[in-house]
Amino acid sequence: MSDDRVPVVADGAWTDDVDEEEGVVVNWFAKAGRHVTVGDSLCELQVEKVSVDIDAPTDGELVEIVRDENAEFSIGDTLAWIEPEG
Amino acid sequence: MIDRELTMSRAIVEAIGSEMRDNDEVFYMGEDVADYGGIFDSTQGLLEEFGHDRIMDVPISETAYLGAAVGAAQQGMRPIAELMFVDFFGVAMDQIYNQMAKNTYMSGGSVSVPMVLTTAVGGTYSDAAQHSQALYGTFAHLPGMKVVVPSTAYDAKGLMHNAIRDDDPVVYMYHKRLMGLGWLPAPKGPKTPVPEEEYTIPFGAADVKREGADVTVVTLGLHVHRALDAAAELAADGIDIEVIDLRTLVPLDQETVVESVEKTGRLVVVDEDYRSFGLTGEIVSTVADEALDALEAVERVAMPDVPIPYARELEQEVQPDASDIETAVRNVR
Repeated sequence: MSDDRVPVVADGAWTDDVDEEEGVVVNWFAKAGRHVTVGDSLCELQVEKVSVDIDAPTDGELVEIVRDENAEFSIGDTLAWIEPEG
Repeated sequence: MIDRELTMSRAIVEAIGSEMRDNDEVFYMGEDVADYGGIFDSTQGLLEEFGHDRIMDVPISETAYLGAAVGAAQQGMRPIAELMFVDFFGVAMDQIYNQMAKNTYMSGGSVSVPMVLTTAVGGTYSDAAQHSQALYGTFAHLPGMKVVVPSTAYDAKGLMHNAIRDDDPVVYMYHKRLMGLGWLPAPKGPKTPVPEEEYTIPFGAADVKREGADVTVVTLGLHVHRALDAAAELAADGIDIEVIDLRTLVPLDQETVVESVEKTGRLVVVDEDYRSFGLTGEIVSTVADEALDALEAVERVAMPDVPIPYARELEQEVQPDASDIETAVRNVR
């Protein structure tokens, strides 16, 4: 696997609205191997009682899901990897 | 190939949003459906697009807002009104049973009531006797309402498109355990690939979720997935069951059920609603009416006639699960 893979990171503007640093991955809407477009909703996280969607940061192939459904994560963790196009 | 998967709640919301964009007469009202997005995510994100005029929180009076929905429907709008838990139907029984279900008939057809009554059903999460019922039979019993019970995201979207476009009142019953909520995890199965474009699934068309030669299992909602779990276990012992998901109770697809029993000769009906005077008895008697000669053995698996317990162990005891279905299938073999 080359080094130009782009991480899907558990981060975003929503982190300002929560006190907890940890949460759980609730749903993946894409399987590994799927082509994704920047802005596609890839997965749903739950932190405290807030649910947030994490969007694809780039076009490409979702090559690896690191944190599966029901897995816990901390803000800033890598949830998955995308192999960009081209 | 469709590779985007959605939870059932998101599939339902996608259908509602699409219909609201196409038709200004469609609106949604209920308790905590606007700012909260529905306590089971049934309206998540719709407020941001459509605003409070079309996604409306209502006071806690089911009689008032279900009555308002009936009136709006008779005036040509297409309301979707949410009864937060189906268990609350009793406080609005006259609006549902006597107005919504009968006004088309009572007016001699001079008005129709094209509304959708959405409601959350089912237990398995310790919410006790007043928040855990399925009550499928309560709505399917009285003439005048169509009754929809989806089991997957794909079915939920197509059935919701059809429900909103239908000119008669439709009761759309979604199981809380299937919606894909963080605090109420769904089993594997309800989250499915869902096309982005709109599509409809006709009412009265059951879906064979698993083909099999030995025993017909007829069910709906959450128990479609429990029956499929049982099927996997039974397959290891060489028992091949057919799982029929009714998808709508009114109209009821008798033909698919009867044809399957004519093939297998053995019938198991699985229901999360109470055993007596309900779905299981109805399906068995339908098959007896239409294909008595084909029926070699029959079993019912349903909620016993008791209030649903709060205690987790007691609720698990009364809730039909995959092993109960397995046992029933082995009994009819």
